[in-house]
Amino acid sequence: MAAGGVFARRGVRLAAGLVAGALALTGCGGGDDSAGEGDKITLTVATFSDFGYEPLVKDYMAAHPNIEIKLRVTEFDQHHKQLATRLGAGAGAADIEAVEEGYIPQFRQSKDKFVNLADFGAKDLAKQWLPWKWEQSLADNGNFVMGLGTDMGGLALCYRSDLFKAAGLPVERDAVSALWTGWDEYFAVGDRFIGSGSKAKWFDGVGNIYQAMMNQTPYGYFDTSDAYVGDSNPAVKTAFDKVAAVANKPGMSAKLDPFSQQWNVGFKQGTFATLPCPSWMLGLIKDGSGPENAGKWDIAKIPGNGGNWGGSFLTVPKQGKHAKEAYELAKFLTSPESEAKIFQNVGSLPSQPETLKNPAVLGFKNEYFSNAPVGEIYAKSGETLQPNYRGTKDADVRPVFGRALARVEQGKQSAADAWTQALSEAGKALGK
Amino acid sequence: MRGRLDRHLTPYLFVAPFFVLFAVFGAYPLLATLWMSLHDWHLINGDGGYIGLANYSDLFADPDFWNALVNTLSLFVISTVPQLFIALGLAALLNTKLRGRTFWRAGVLVPNVVSVVAVALVFAQVFGRDFGIVNWLLGLVGMEPIDWPANVWSSHLAIAAIVTWRWTGYNALIYLAAMQAVPNDLYESARLDGASTWKAFWTVTVPIIRPTILFTTVVSTIGGLQLFAEPLLFESKGASTGTGGSDRQYQTITMYLYEKGFTLFDAGSAATIAWVLFLIVALFALFNFAVVRRTVASR
Repeated sequence: MAAGGVFARRGVRLAAGLVAGALALTGCGGGDDSAGEGDKITLTVATFSDFGYEPLVKDYMAAHPNIEIKLRVTEFDQHHKQLATRLGAGAGAADIEAVEEGYIPQFRQSKDKFVNLADFGAKDLAKQWLPWKWEQSLADNGNFVMGLGTDMGGLALCYRSDLFKAAGLPVERDAVSALWTGWDEYFAVGDRFIGSGSKAKWFDGVGNIYQAMMNQTPYGYFDTSDAYVGDSNPAVKTAFDKVAAVANKPGMSAKLDPFSQQWNVGFKQGTFATLPCPSWMLGLIKDGSGPENAGKWDIAKIPGNGGNWGGSFLTVPKQGKHAKEAYELAKFLTSPESEAKIFQNVGSLPSQPETLKNPAVLGFKNEYFSNAPVGEIYAKSGETLQPNYRGTKDADVRPVFGRALARVEQGKQSAADAWTQALSEAGKALGK
Repeated sequence: MRGRLDRHLTPYLFVAPFFVLFAVFGAYPLLATLWMSLHDWHLINGDGGYIGLANYSDLFADPDFWNALVNTLSLFVISTVPQLFIALGLAALLNTKLRGRTFWRAGVLVPNVVSVVAVALVFAQVFGRDFGIVNWLLGLVGMEPIDWPANVWSSHLAIAAIVTWRWTGYNALIYLAAMQAVPNDLYESARLDGASTWKAFWTVTVPIIRPTILFTTVVSTIGGLQLFAEPLLFESKGASTGTGGSDRQYQTITMYLYEKGFTLFDAGSAATIAWVLFLIVALFALFNFAVVRRTVASR
């Protein structure tokens, strides 16, 4: 930029004045939109996907005329990334923000940006949840309560009964559950399925299978003292080897990335027969498969132990102006009565022992999934499940192993090479 | 007195909006990013202390950075170079007495105004492994289906196709505008001298629109080096971490920045990548400037 010498200095001063003026103007423009008429308070609730809050929020507003509630729904990844930048910027976050279990360790490092719900007496509610669910949201040796638990993701196995029938396998859900106890038997049944000459593959992709296996272990890449054990924990190596062994075996994997567009097409075209499905996935399976495949899916027991995949918490960012009111609303949305209603509306599995015994939950059947008694199936899986500990740096390491298995699945690497590369990448990610 | 003040003040007021906007949205972020890159900066928790050039030395020692740089250059070359040549040809065609000229001219801009998300969705289907059109066509001539995102070359080709599809028309219109400003009598005298249309194109049109070619080259270079939306959206939705495939086969520099900053919350490293990218782009722009000037001048 070549500014004329004579004008330069005066120009700079002038420009500086103008900038200051403009900044002052924009400063005035950033008004406060939450302060309405009288003492009406607006609370925003930000979630990803459908949490089933709409009818509940209507009831709440009717009972609390001074409170106006807005729901903000964004896509999963975008929701959490936006929350991170808004916490960093100190503005823009909703009064209540949902945080998924997988993101909790990452956000726990920034707990100062959240309200300690213990200050409002959240500890008195502890008994409401399954103990492991309650503990997932704690920090500071239990003195800091980051969020109130919403749903959880007890594991089950979804299968296409029509494809099972065509392959000469049992169709009825108890008989299917009896086909396996562990994953080895599950893969062996897969061999039988492939042997029948079915055009469909046995499962959707290694991503889901490996995720399910890892969620059945008490801890994965980090032990409960948060030390990295990805290279020494036999549970990791065992799961990795089991999945790697079938990843590129003909007929086994449809080689689809979970949640991708191609995965959805796979449901519609029926390109695979089974996949591990936490309760929140039922909606995705139904949407992907479409009405033409209604009644073809059914639900059986997951191979291996029970496990949890997913589930969220409602947190209250500190930057909000109405922390107390936000807490009261979060308490209402996570109450046993609300969770029971949510389960019936959108199928999110309650994370509370009392709700899991609620007859309305236990007796609930899902028409799309061949009228499977989903309430009973998932309540049982929820009570017996083995929670999985996630280390603080889990998000840095977990994807590394997932990508390694994807390389095996794509036929780019042998299992041994993929494992070696994963270990070195994980070490590098943690090296800093 | 007032008149003099007016005369001195008014020009500054006229140019002020640009400088104000530039200061707020250009200079400030640039300097703030530089500041962040010298610190251990967590996306949410903020400043974790001054660490000098440690972020830079870490970055240069990181093989993933060099991988991203190579990917970016490869994608840049295979998308920008053909794109500009096709655009030049397209502009020459649109500059002739075509039937329904306005329709074609407006038409070439359509890919550019369609949302990049929609374009990426469509291309993900086109390059789908199991049910994609490209693989279906390959199957007709007896070729095995290709898992496009799985390999380096195939993922780069697919992404380059998306980029070329989106930006060729835009560049063609810019060339067309420049070509319309070429005086007709130059073509007439060229024809009198016995030059073919082909020859006239290279000896009359191209030298005259040289500044425009320089402009599009610089702009495409900047855009190409910052390639982000197309490869990110090429990733499947379930894995939108910015890693660019199972082995980082199509991770560009900006995707690497995204991975560091928004997936791993390491804003200090992300800021460092942003600054290194800025310097690379500046270097390329200078290089471009020199090369295009010389080669086009020598024609």
